[in-house]
Amino acid sequence: MKAGYGRGVNDVRENEVISVQGLVKTFGATRALDSLDLAVRSGEVHGFLGPNGAGKSTTIRILLGLLRRDAGEVRLFDGNPWSQAADLHRRLAYVPGDVSLWPNLSGGEVIDLFLRMRGAPADHPLRAQMLERFQLDPTKKGRAYSKGNRQKVALVAAFAAPADLLILDEPTSGLDPLMEEVFADCVLERKAEGTTVLLSSHILSEVERLADRVTIIRDGRAVESGSLEDMRHLHRSKVRAEVVGRVPDLSGVPGVHELAVDGSVVSCTVEPEGLPAVLTALTGAGVRTLTSTPPSLEELFLDAYRGEPVG
Amino acid sequence: MTGVGALTRFALRRSRVLIGAWTAVLAVFCYASAAATDSLYPTLADQVSAAESLNASSALVALYGPILDVRSLGELAMTKATVTYAVLVMAIAITLVRRHTRVEEESGRAELLGGLAIDPGAPMVAAIVVGAVVSLLVAVTAALGDIAGGLPVVGSLWFGASWFGIGLVGTGIGAVCAQLSANARTCGAVAAGVVAVLFGVRALGDTSSAGWLSWLSPFGWSTQLRAWSDPRPWLLLLDLGLAALLTGVALALRAGRDLGAGLVPDRPGPATGSPRLADALALNLKVHATSLAVWTVACAVLGALMAAIVPGIGSILDSNGTRTMMERLGGVGALQETLVAALVSVGAIVISCFVASVVGHGGAEENDGRTEEVLATATSRSTTFAAVAVVALGGAAWLLLVTGVAMALGSLGAEVSAGAVLAAALVQIPAVWVVAALALVAVAVRSRWAIAGWVLVVAFFLLGPLAELLQLPGWVAGLSPYSHVPKVPAESFQVGPELVLVVLATLLVATAWWRYRERDIG
Repeated sequence: MKAGYGRGVNDVRENEVISVQGLVKTFGATRALDSLDLAVRSGEVHGFLGPNGAGKSTTIRILLGLLRRDAGEVRLFDGNPWSQAADLHRRLAYVPGDVSLWPNLSGGEVIDLFLRMRGAPADHPLRAQMLERFQLDPTKKGRAYSKGNRQKVALVAAFAAPADLLILDEPTSGLDPLMEEVFADCVLERKAEGTTVLLSSHILSEVERLADRVTIIRDGRAVESGSLEDMRHLHRSKVRAEVVGRVPDLSGVPGVHELAVDGSVVSCTVEPEGLPAVLTALTGAGVRTLTSTPPSLEELFLDAYRGEPVG
Repeated sequence: MTGVGALTRFALRRSRVLIGAWTAVLAVFCYASAAATDSLYPTLADQVSAAESLNASSALVALYGPILDVRSLGELAMTKATVTYAVLVMAIAITLVRRHTRVEEESGRAELLGGLAIDPGAPMVAAIVVGAVVSLLVAVTAALGDIAGGLPVVGSLWFGASWFGIGLVGTGIGAVCAQLSANARTCGAVAAGVVAVLFGVRALGDTSSAGWLSWLSPFGWSTQLRAWSDPRPWLLLLDLGLAALLTGVALALRAGRDLGAGLVPDRPGPATGSPRLADALALNLKVHATSLAVWTVACAVLGALMAAIVPGIGSILDSNGTRTMMERLGGVGALQETLVAALVSVGAIVISCFVASVVGHGGAEENDGRTEEVLATATSRSTTFAAVAVVALGGAAWLLLVTGVAMALGSLGAEVSAGAVLAAALVQIPAVWVVAALALVAVAVRSRWAIAGWVLVVAFFLLGPLAELLQLPGWVAGLSPYSHVPKVPAESFQVGPELVLVVLATLLVATAWWRYRERDIG
């Protein structure tokens, strides 16, 4: 993790709804979480990303008090998520990535059950509104729902009453694009009302649209954290230039990678620190055309996921 | 039919531990019974007297069926195996068929197979083949156990054949029941009910003047086969015919329905939840409501039916010999009391199956991720644990109460007072609680150990007879909590053992609760 866009500033921490530092969790010989840091500030939508098996769900399950941490600090609403689980859960709603329902309970019964067990009212006007927006038939029995509809049951339950925090673990898996749209609208509305959201997701466009900040984890560690803007600035840009004169030798310039020369065209990727030197060299050679592209989200994520050097 | 061979091998492989353990237990039981009987009753006179006293006790006839040829060592040795333990043969067949049909459909795994290049009917046929193959396996190993235990070869083979027939009928029952509901638990409960009715009908037939009732049940056919003397092989055709009929019905039902659907389509449920459905206990009660209702009715009906044989016990024992022996045993009243005590002890074990299913379901809730969803609300670990414990412990007490009341009403007119019959059922509660508490400890340690409840019930059920046959030290049989329950009303009530069982159950539940609060979920 790079200094500058990381967290850890004390005045910010007071504002944190979720605060995780140095979290370790092992299952037998497997180290699922290896000194993980995560900070979710009050009122933000925080994207939580990482490849399969990186430890996202384990982190969420520790935050929910389902798993016990082996080491590290975990605070939820400035409380202990293990020992104060039931009390803290009055303030949050959780949507798992694979919702399992009771075969003989109808969707409506499950929604009301979740609401009541959360201590929330089951007759909030939002409930009817959410059923309408997610186009969910609440009279079907649990076993009759498809994967996407089971997901909707949990989403309606989560959005059907106000909550301070939403913990969403790949909440849109199995939803069709229209429903993903409804989901995104709901998240943004909640955010506007001040709700904090932890959103674990694989859908980059969803994260890009919704998240204020993201944390990317790999092998149980946070490898990136910050706003998308910050992250973009800290990664290599693609530079492609056609020069008038002789192609300058950029191979010696620090921060230049993937250098390729094709006639009078030179292309490479450049770390932020190397850009001024590259531009100087190119200008010296007489630039005919020049494009510099910041990394796309996909490239950012793929770099982080693969664990390649990322600037 | 494409895929049957591969699916059969796959199912046999998946269930190999279950099949192996079940087969081994039954074979060892047969061997131990066969080997022990010869030394227990060294002379023919000993055998005849033992067989006659068995026949004289309605309680034992109700449980084990009659001995038709009192001079046959084989029939005496296999008294319990012919009918009572044949229930376990039927149970394994039903369990396997259900496991590889409806359970697979409910979990969605069958859909995965449906996408492969196999015949749509193949999984069903494969499950039936598995049931038949395992029935044959159990029958052959049981016969070998008998032969190894020193019983005549021909009789042993016919006895094995009777178990094979029971297994085939079980396969058919399992196959039909698996078609009825989209809910695998409901299918299992219906099948268990069918077995209970078949057993109960035979018990009534064997102990009352309505002997024809026994001919309505495959368990009755097993006795009438007379495996050990003058076998009547044509009776096996009844088993085969019934199994073929049931299998045909099952295949027709399967062909006429969609994958995953029951015969009765799901009715829509309420659009909103009842305000009472607001906590983990209410949820668990709702989940078990149907099961609890079915069990309540079954306990009431079977309790009343079984108890109905109690008042008649004096009149069917008219011969001078049995009359004398009865007097020696303490008269009609004492016989009736023994019968009541024996019936409730069976009732306690059957009701323990309800407990095993509730606790097992608690483990399944966690494995399927539903416990996680509940714990993500403002529901504490303690509440979640209590929800399972209350339904298991409370359900056991309730069902024994229902059984006791039903038996008390059913046995009106006997020389045993209704109060004594009720008490006989109620004293079983602490023993069932200990079994429930042990199962809760297993689930509290690891959700995947939820099967422990079933293992315990079967183990404790077999422990007494096995320890007796193998002449194991007394403490082995004493491991079973059921063995410490005073045999009210035949014996007087003792508060000591009851108190010890209650304290033990309390300590075990407390341990389970403590463990469940401390461990990882999922």
